[in-house]
Amino acid sequence: MTEPILTASGVSKRFGPVLALNDVAFHVERGEVHALLGINGAGKSTFIKILSGLIQKDTGSIRIAGQEVDFKAPEDAIHAGIATVQQHPELVSDMSGLDNIFLGRECAGRGLFGRVDRRAMEQRADALLARFSVPLDLSREVGDMSAVEREAVAILQALAADDIKVLILDEPTSTLTEIEREDLFALMNQLRSQGISIIYITHQLEEVFAIADSFSVFRGGTCIARMSVAEARSENISLAALMLGEAIGDIFPPKGAAEKLGEVVLKVEKLTRDGEFSNITFEARKGEILGIFGLVGSGCDELAKAIFGVTPAQSGRIAVNGAAISPKKPRHALDAGIFLVPGDRRTEGLALDRPALFNVPLANLRRAANGGWSLKGRQIRNDAKLLTDQVALSPPSLTTPASGFSGGNQQKIVLAKGLYTEADVYIFVEPTVGVDIGARAKIYALMRNLSEKAAVIVISSDCDEVFGVADRTIAMHKGRQAEAQAGGLFDRDGLLLAGIMGGSMQ
Amino acid sequence: MKRLRFLSSGYGRGMAFILLVLIVAAGFATAEPRFLTQASLSGIARHMAANGLAALGLTFVVIVRKFDLSLAGVAAFSAMSMGAVIAAGFPLTVAIAAGLLIGLIIGGISGFAISRAGFPDIVTTIAVGSVCSGLAFLYTGGRSIFQNFFQSGITNLNDARFLGVGVSLWFLVAAYAVAWLVMHKTRTGLAFYATGENPNAAAFSGISTSRYVALAYMLCAAFTVLAVLLILAESGNAETNKGANLMMPAYAGVFLGAAIMGGTSVISTFAGILLITMLLDGFSLMGVPYYYSDGVVSLILLLGVVAFSDIARTWIGGLKVLFGQSGTAGRASGGQV
Repeated sequence: MTEPILTASGVSKRFGPVLALNDVAFHVERGEVHALLGINGAGKSTFIKILSGLIQKDTGSIRIAGQEVDFKAPEDAIHAGIATVQQHPELVSDMSGLDNIFLGRECAGRGLFGRVDRRAMEQRADALLARFSVPLDLSREVGDMSAVEREAVAILQALAADDIKVLILDEPTSTLTEIEREDLFALMNQLRSQGISIIYITHQLEEVFAIADSFSVFRGGTCIARMSVAEARSENISLAALMLGEAIGDIFPPKGAAEKLGEVVLKVEKLTRDGEFSNITFEARKGEILGIFGLVGSGCDELAKAIFGVTPAQSGRIAVNGAAISPKKPRHALDAGIFLVPGDRRTEGLALDRPALFNVPLANLRRAANGGWSLKGRQIRNDAKLLTDQVALSPPSLTTPASGFSGGNQQKIVLAKGLYTEADVYIFVEPTVGVDIGARAKIYALMRNLSEKAAVIVISSDCDEVFGVADRTIAMHKGRQAEAQAGGLFDRDGLLLAGIMGGSMQ
Repeated sequence: MKRLRFLSSGYGRGMAFILLVLIVAAGFATAEPRFLTQASLSGIARHMAANGLAALGLTFVVIVRKFDLSLAGVAAFSAMSMGAVIAAGFPLTVAIAAGLLIGLIIGGISGFAISRAGFPDIVTTIAVGSVCSGLAFLYTGGRSIFQNFFQSGITNLNDARFLGVGVSLWFLVAAYAVAWLVMHKTRTGLAFYATGENPNAAAFSGISTSRYVALAYMLCAAFTVLAVLLILAESGNAETNKGANLMMPAYAGVFLGAAIMGGTSVISTFAGILLITMLLDGFSLMGVPYYYSDGVVSLILLLGVVAFSDIARTWIGGLKVLFGQSGTAGRASGGQV
């Protein structure tokens, strides 16, 4: 057996009183796709930052192809052959893919006035594309590209440095649809066949079996397991149990009981917004969770925004508790008792620099002021405490800025903000993107609890999520609603097919 | 660790501010004994009233994360407008009402253009400010207006005292108290802050962000008019360059205060404007020409913003690590732990 391309042993890192990494042993073989798993806070991000030179280890050694290395800065890591694509790649959206790939490396000459040699750049880009055949027009602006094309540009940018041996991908699929994910996997397969090793971070456990050769699991700041995917498959090992350190059952809560099915709360009829969705009709009741599955471009995100009044529908009817409404802005929808947990919590859900205490009361200032004008400080604090406890915010701090929480806990703050509105209809859009498995189970359980008092609608491009959490499902494809045959319910494959192909095939 | 906490806590910041005031006061008192006389202190109070009103208006705009560069233009136009109304023989209250109306209209135009029509804030307010500067010349072609000023009673705003303190300072304190109550104790204030922190998330929370942005510009212009009113009261005439010296102290006060107090608020602006006014008056008392003192004050602003920034705190943490006290690095910056 040849020596691993990358070996880490005894790596520790301390932040103040917190031991973030404790004696980590880790290795990656040449030309393998290696998944790095762990819940938020397990230490995998810290470990990746050390490997990419963003922060420095306190103790331990890292060897690349047998050579001891010590990274002081990201350039050192790149020079040693480790390239990293961050979770949200920083690309300049006004510049072309080509310019992004060579940003900062436009010319061989030094100095402020070095000439940009476009032809050399194009040749190098062609050479790159010849090695990794991506169907990609690099002359387009990055801002016009789809998520998977941007990811490909970021990967090419990482590989443009000479002699990259290890590529680190930090949650590359979190913003991709199922089809785009396949494209990314194809690119990863090519890289593997070229002998490049890939360290791949993901929260989607089924992806591990789809693409990885082997995986490591981090828990509590150390690497607790490393095994090949074949091994895990043959021994039927539960990745989730490994990550959480306990055997867990299904992450999805039990389905709602039929006798608890309550009255219709939200009724949507023939809702249409040109170019986005048309003739959408459904009902949502108390006591059940309604799932809507659709890929990006299916119009389901736009449907949620129309019901919430962000981008109003042009025709059709919406009724809450029997009263017709036509929300023109979120205020109208909130007043009618609808709350939207938006798909992009960072830009649409939270004031990131502010703590839970600021964010929780925002969507119901009337309650925060007890119907009057002046805020009831103590009451807000008590309510916020109650609600953040209810969603199990961790750490349970009302004063830490939202940006200081993990993705799952940020989502819990949005949820607490929703609970504060005491709405009758809760619409969740992509509720668990970038959320680790522990927090996911908690969020699903909260949805189930919520469904006892309100109608809950879950809209997602993750078919298993929709199927797992919902009692009843609808699929959307290219703006149209696809129902199961004969008023029946979708099975999992039927739902997936309807969302991808636009109809159930017999 | 302790010292870092001290810097970040509100209590520590308040102490740091009081310390700064004492140092500046002691410095000027040593260099120029006249600094602590009754005349000098009441001068500081009067100038602080004018600067403070303009800075208070600007605070609303900064809280919604915008800029207003039309301050000087609004000041000039409203100064000449109020002067013209007074000169025409109308009572002072009519002049003030006219000035405020003009301010609200101009602020409303900027606010509407920026929040509804989506114009860029800096370009829009520079344009609006320039137009206003030009309009200021309409009344007299640039000559100063002083007719009827004395009889109108406007100078009382400058001279009258209540409990031994000039009324303009009481005026300022009242304005700050009301603003503090509104911005920090009501749902309106929370909505202003939410609009600034993340307008998108605020809109998704049912807050009408464009309304608050427009309101911020209207309040900014209205408070600028009140600041100009005090300047007219002090000088006893209206000129087109009145208020040209309002902009720098206002911005410096808002941003220095925010740096010291760790965020923009009514209190931080009050702290900032007190320091800035002390500095400006102290320098002018020492005979430093305004073109130097402006430079010095701007430099102090820059230093203050840097000294109280997060970067500086991390840097201090780094220094402590260098000196062998490991485990005191304070914030686990950048590490997901």
